[in-house]
Amino acid sequence: MARYYDELLKLCGFEVEEINGEGSRIEKAFQKLEIGPEDMEPAESWVRQHHDVELVGVRKLLAAWLKELIDLVLAKDEGKRVIYFGFPAITRPGTLIASASEEIYCACPDTILCHTMGQIFNKLTPILEAGEQNGLPPGHALCSLWQIKVGALAKGIIPAPDMAMASSYYCDMGSKADDLLHEIYGTPIVYIDGSMDSAWGEYPDYSPQRVEFLGAELNRLFDEVKEIVGVEITSEAWEKAAPSMRQYYGGIGQLTELMKADPVPLYGAETSLATILGAACTGRGISEGSKAITILIEEVQRRVDEGVGVVEKGAPRVMVFVGNFSDASIMRMIENTGLAVPQTYFTVPPPKAKARTSYATVGEIMAENEMRGGLYHSSYGAAKRTEMATEYSKLDGIIFNYPFNCRPAAQMSHTLKKWVEENTGIPALSLENDLYDSRSYSAAALRTRVETFAEMLRARKASASV
Amino acid sequence: MSKGLVTGVDIGAATTKAVILDSSNVLSFFIMPTGHSVAEAGEVVVRKALENVGLSFVDLEYVVSTGYGRRAISFASKAVTEIICHAAGVSSVISQARSIVDIGGQDSKVIGLDGAGNVINFVMNDKCAAGTGRFLEVMAGVLNVGIDEIGPISLMSKDACQMSSTCTIFAESEMVSLRAEGRSREDLLAGICKAMAHRVAIMGQSVGFKKDVVFTGGVAKNVGIKKALEDEIGLEILVPEEPQIMGALGAALLAKAELSEIETKRV
Repeated sequence: MARYYDELLKLCGFEVEEINGEGSRIEKAFQKLEIGPEDMEPAESWVRQHHDVELVGVRKLLAAWLKELIDLVLAKDEGKRVIYFGFPAITRPGTLIASASEEIYCACPDTILCHTMGQIFNKLTPILEAGEQNGLPPGHALCSLWQIKVGALAKGIIPAPDMAMASSYYCDMGSKADDLLHEIYGTPIVYIDGSMDSAWGEYPDYSPQRVEFLGAELNRLFDEVKEIVGVEITSEAWEKAAPSMRQYYGGIGQLTELMKADPVPLYGAETSLATILGAACTGRGISEGSKAITILIEEVQRRVDEGVGVVEKGAPRVMVFVGNFSDASIMRMIENTGLAVPQTYFTVPPPKAKARTSYATVGEIMAENEMRGGLYHSSYGAAKRTEMATEYSKLDGIIFNYPFNCRPAAQMSHTLKKWVEENTGIPALSLENDLYDSRSYSAAALRTRVETFAEMLRARKASASV
Repeated sequence: MSKGLVTGVDIGAATTKAVILDSSNVLSFFIMPTGHSVAEAGEVVVRKALENVGLSFVDLEYVVSTGYGRRAISFASKAVTEIICHAAGVSSVISQARSIVDIGGQDSKVIGLDGAGNVINFVMNDKCAAGTGRFLEVMAGVLNVGIDEIGPISLMSKDACQMSSTCTIFAESEMVSLRAEGRSREDLLAGICKAMAHRVAIMGQSVGFKKDVVFTGGVAKNVGIKKALEDEIGLEILVPEEPQIMGALGAALLAKAELSEIETKRV
């Protein structure tokens, strides 16, 4: 007998056997998420409008997100010990912790909700409103991603965690919002301290002391996991986690390489679906996501071979610093103005490890990796990686998100914008929006700026070719 | 034989403008309030501009629409953003322009141009009424002065009030308090002009102001704002004879260019 969610789930890449096998879990999760038959048609339409569902790989990516959502919602009911981390994510420690025991569910819940309740069901507003009513009020420039986490907890959509890893790696709001979790739910919080201070011009070099310090903090985190959750993080766990991470990141690397093609073969929202999985999930999201990416690579390779693109050949190429998590319509609008989006910050290949790379502990190895990523290294690191991206993807422009409620990103979209423009010679647009909450920023409202920017880039390209 | 008649229609939040061009001249223009129907305003403004010179819709060969309502005009051949159109319009009348400050009814923008009149940078505020024509309308209402009187009266002030530039609502209550303190109408209006100019100058910092700075939009007719803006940015500001139609003029010029390209291809 057909169930009300069959068609939507099939559209989102579920196989019939998977739906049959998980039927009761799906129903239980949807009940908690307040998703019912009336949500199916709008969701199907929303997905078809903003995702390239002709591609099986894209559908399978949506499935990976949905499976992760189901696992998240049911984690406590299914007897898991739940650990949350925040975004920008400390994924590798999360993956290691999750690999240490099958009894642990570890993820970044707000990011999962954005990509599912936002991008698939377009039903984030009640969750945001619950966050606003439970400690993170509107109109105070508070991060909407954290409003989603707090709101989902308050509504009972996601389970209260047994532990949270407060990652002030990049973000000052994260650890403060985790304080709130502790206050309301008594959740033990492990604060991972880190210093983002670095001499201007240092990247890609870095001081070994910074690696050692952050490494020691991460090693302490693993000790605290043992104390709080009762699971020991061993080197076997690292060996278990490493292959799946290698497969996942290898796939992202191949996809990024394919995006260098002209015409650009895939919409930016789809590459974001793939890359942000790695920042949010440690479980099925990654394993299923890796399979989806493998399928997607084959499909995209075919497009490249046939010269098929999602925008015109020769279209100006822009990097969108970060795609909107909860609303793919903004990325699609950017592409509808004739801009190709081959790149986000997260897909710029990092420089190879240099200097001292023989760090002895897992924490240090992870810390060194973060350092090379640039974003954690420093503002200069982020600017320099952006500069690298212009060369890597032959960019004609950059679109910086300017979320006023995020201090690091707001700084980047102004100060670093100027630096990047001066050092790369290509124009940048600072686009005021909110990556997680589209109540105040719609694609239509932003369109005039993006259209003008597209026109500017086309004129520059035309005059350069004369 | 083609007369090369084209029009540019700029549907703004407050007013709608149309400019009719033949192959070499501006034949006519018309400005009217946008009202409730954007599509209707677009049609009426073009018809009125055409009627001024004894023409009708059938004479038009290409139409470019711009402004907020640009996509609502069914008879437009192409829609182009108001930033690109302002750049084209201003460059055609003041070729040495390098910065444009455009303050319309409900948004404001600062546009940077290169020597060829191309847009090289821009910034736009359309989220807050502060720094837009709406701010002036609210203040004029509170002080019971005509919108056209604000500028001349403000220039008589000897001690402009210090007022908030961040929010129309806060600025309104601040003005009510200052009025209760007995501050003169001249000083209050000069304070309003200063606050608005400050807001626009801050917004434009990321683009930068370069000589020649050209002021467009309905607010450019306000001599008080012009003076306050000159004081803020430390540069003289030029105002075209008809600052409100620069977007429509630019749209018409782009229409002319499109038509010429089509004709060239035909030949």
